[in-house]
Amino acid sequence: MRNYFKLGLLAAVVGGTLGFGTLQASSQDLELTIMAPAGAGGGWDSASRSMQEAMMASGNAKSVQVINVPGAGGTVGLAQFIGSAKGNPSQLLVAGITLVGASISNQSPVDLTQVTPIARLTGDPLVIVVPKDSPIKSMDDLLATIKKDVATTIWVGGSAGGADHILAALVTKAAGADPSKINYVAYSGGGESLAAMLGGQATAGVSGYGEWEGQIKSGDLRALAISYPEPIEGIEAKPLKGQGLDIELVNWRGIFAGPGVEGADLDALKSAVEKTVKSAEWQAILKTRGWTDYYAPSNEFKAFIGSETERVKTILTSIGLAN
Amino acid sequence: MDTFSFLIDGFALAIQPANLIYAAIGVLIGTAVGVLPGIGPALTVALLLPVTFKLDPGGSIIMFAGIYYGGMYGGSTTAILLNTPGESASVVTALEGNKMARAGRGGPALATAAIGSFVAALIATAGLAVLAPYLVKIAVKFGPWDYFGLMLIAFVTVSATFGSSPLRGLTSLAFGLWLGLMGIDQLTGQARLTFGVPELLDGVEVTTLAVGLFAIGEAFFVASRHLYKPEKPIPVKGSIWMTREDWKRSWKPWLRGTIIGFPIGALPAGGAEIPTFLSYTIERKLSKNPEEFGHGAIEGVAGPEAANNASAAGTLVPLLTLGLPTSATAAVMLAGFQQYNIQPGPLLFTQHADLVWGLVASLFIANVMLLVLNLPLVGMWVKLLKIPLPWLYAGILVFASMGTIAANPSVTELLLLTGFGVVGFVMRRYDYPIAPAVVGLILGPLADSALRRSLQMSLGDPMILLQHPSSAIMIGIAVVALVAPFVFRGLSKFRQDED
Amino acid sequence: MTQKTLHIPNRPTAVIAVVLFAIAFITYWDASHMKVRATYGMSASAASYFVALLFVALAIGHLISAFKPSDIEVEAADWMAVGWIGFALAGLIGSIWLGGGFILGSTLLFALTARAFGRKALLVDLCLGAVIGVLVFLLFNKLLTLALPQGPLERLF
Repeated sequence: MRNYFKLGLLAAVVGGTLGFGTLQASSQDLELTIMAPAGAGGGWDSASRSMQEAMMASGNAKSVQVINVPGAGGTVGLAQFIGSAKGNPSQLLVAGITLVGASISNQSPVDLTQVTPIARLTGDPLVIVVPKDSPIKSMDDLLATIKKDVATTIWVGGSAGGADHILAALVTKAAGADPSKINYVAYSGGGESLAAMLGGQATAGVSGYGEWEGQIKSGDLRALAISYPEPIEGIEAKPLKGQGLDIELVNWRGIFAGPGVEGADLDALKSAVEKTVKSAEWQAILKTRGWTDYYAPSNEFKAFIGSETERVKTILTSIGLAN
Repeated sequence: MDTFSFLIDGFALAIQPANLIYAAIGVLIGTAVGVLPGIGPALTVALLLPVTFKLDPGGSIIMFAGIYYGGMYGGSTTAILLNTPGESASVVTALEGNKMARAGRGGPALATAAIGSFVAALIATAGLAVLAPYLVKIAVKFGPWDYFGLMLIAFVTVSATFGSSPLRGLTSLAFGLWLGLMGIDQLTGQARLTFGVPELLDGVEVTTLAVGLFAIGEAFFVASRHLYKPEKPIPVKGSIWMTREDWKRSWKPWLRGTIIGFPIGALPAGGAEIPTFLSYTIERKLSKNPEEFGHGAIEGVAGPEAANNASAAGTLVPLLTLGLPTSATAAVMLAGFQQYNIQPGPLLFTQHADLVWGLVASLFIANVMLLVLNLPLVGMWVKLLKIPLPWLYAGILVFASMGTIAANPSVTELLLLTGFGVVGFVMRRYDYPIAPAVVGLILGPLADSALRRSLQMSLGDPMILLQHPSSAIMIGIAVVALVAPFVFRGLSKFRQDED
Repeated sequence: MTQKTLHIPNRPTAVIAVVLFAIAFITYWDASHMKVRATYGMSASAASYFVALLFVALAIGHLISAFKPSDIEVEAADWMAVGWIGFALAGLIGSIWLGGGFILGSTLLFALTARAFGRKALLVDLCLGAVIGVLVFLLFNKLLTLALPQGPLERLF
């Protein structure tokens, strides 16, 4: 991940010295529309708007518009996108792991394997915390608590079937308990569940690291582990993988084109997004937003979507949210 | 440095001429956009947020505060004058406010709303400055069982809005509860009453219901009577200013509304609606002329408006101290902070103290600006009612549907809006009260998830609701409030029989 | 329900009672088909059953009061006007559904609503509605970059 950052800086510097004249004419002419399948203000919306800003500022597209189509964890927007963007090289979609889960648990006829992956963009770690005066001091303590009595181990986190719930289920399973017996109390988002954590009503909590960073740094919450596969600079908590648990779950976001977009059209989109991701503008956005770079090019991302869909489906089935 | 000198510094920043101008512009455009029916403060702030990005952080936060207060005030203006609340928190304002406007007292209604909002925001902002760190410690202790107790109290108080028939009032409430079931259940992910329509999975927007029942329903109803009983342009009787009597009747509701609004707003799931219902009920109970309620009692505007604004300042407590946005508006404000690399949270008060006090000072200034700019404009707003009826209602419908499209550009949402309009028409025609339906939609899902979260944490043991003293007390209050009127009525009947 | 021999003094209330029964039944049916169960505490269906029960009680209440003389006076309604407003809203929804865009939709909505209130100058109202539509579109789409539905008219700007 750090390497990508350096690479990005390098690319930006090189791009800067070479000047604008060398940019491909084709990518400069791109007029794109990015759909965020969620309302204004959320994660996908800000990712779309940041992409818009970076693509235009780095000269990789002439104009970019963002439209919001909220509804049902993104499946409403996805269904509309599959219909309207078929073979249309000027339409893009920003989505992430939540949409994978929502497609499965809403039994939606559409899912992310039906669109054309362009690139994986960001991947934010989830964090597992306990209240500051909890007797649980480490992941091992938490696993022991779960194994002792899975029902009284109360988890709090975001909505049912979301990434937080999935991570809690994975940890429960790793502790040797039945994941379908997990006592996971869902809240509408990282905010309300935070209040439940601070109020001491829960044993453990899961959220995006960024949402609870303030409380972790101030010592109001004790972070036991992050779900990212490698340690991250500036985050004290160690990855689950470094603590003997083979669990990796990242809240990733990626960008997609419609079904049936191929050939030169697809190549133009891929190169425009790749150049944007490696631009100084995008790296600056990542920094201000506190997002973690998780870039993967089209082919790698495509395989990743397939494996992620299978994995999420297995977990949701084990906690009884899918059949 | 102590609190006080920080505050002085904050004011020194806020009072610079350029910043005063930003505050004035913010208030003006906030009011102008917020006054459109169907566009509440959250959408107003979201729409206008990008405008503030072009300024420096200080100026931007001040303009932002202006937009925020302007948007809130604009929402109550339409509720009072046109009976079309732009957001759920001004539903209660419409109850008495619109009756006042129809009686030609739109001016005093707008004035008591503006001054009440000012007083409440002033006190609540001061409360924010002094009490925030302590209040938040209590607020996070509020467990699901406590929320359930609070919801019960709120449910009982809704009966104040029932009007002439408890049966029809309850039916309206039940309709709201039923709509509240729709969508994916937050706790289990189970879809309820969605009939396979993916657009329904997110449930029914409160704004869509409120705008449909109030604005569209009203248009249907007025049109249906137009031929037989043409509505005359509403005369503005007497002064557009508040009389001595109005002042006398308003000041206590302002203060009571503030006291109710601020702490509930500070709760992580408190919101702005519950305090407005509570305030309305209390004013009705305490009023010396309760018979005026339902026909334009000024207390019924003064109290809820103050409660609404005080709770808005209350939502800043969890936002600033925990980084926890508890309302749509607060969520947009959080995005605004993040734009400047400021992460609200436990460290904000220590790391960016200057900024916090700058914000508090800006809120004060924006608040004063709102009053200065909007009191003279009361006369202009009241003139809105002089627009010929066909154009007035045509305009209301255009803006109301635009607000809905702006929030969610889908045909399903427009169909829902129209459907609610028809229901609103039928309800008006057969004398069903409108407000309980909106209340049901807001409280139903909250009460449902609070109860089920409690039972999930207790592994199904209902005693958890009584084991915590705080929730036991609140449930007790709700039961007493529910039973007491019957007992008293029975007693007085008994006495009458003896006479 | 409406047998000839049965005299119902308050017919609208009886109709509403039937609607309430229907809602109660739908809610019950929906709840009985829910698959996801909560592992601890109450499931999502509990609230549905509660609401269904409430509706049954209210329906019975309505049925009883349907046999009493009505306590409210229902005014005569101008159904033509109601129809015009319905038509106006249908114009807006149709325009957006069929890709006619926001300006056309709100023009229709404005002019037809004004017609419902008895105005006959349709052309004037159409022009006024179009002006308002264009202004709102420009304000929101261009100034505030909010995507309102686009049709042929909107693409001109």
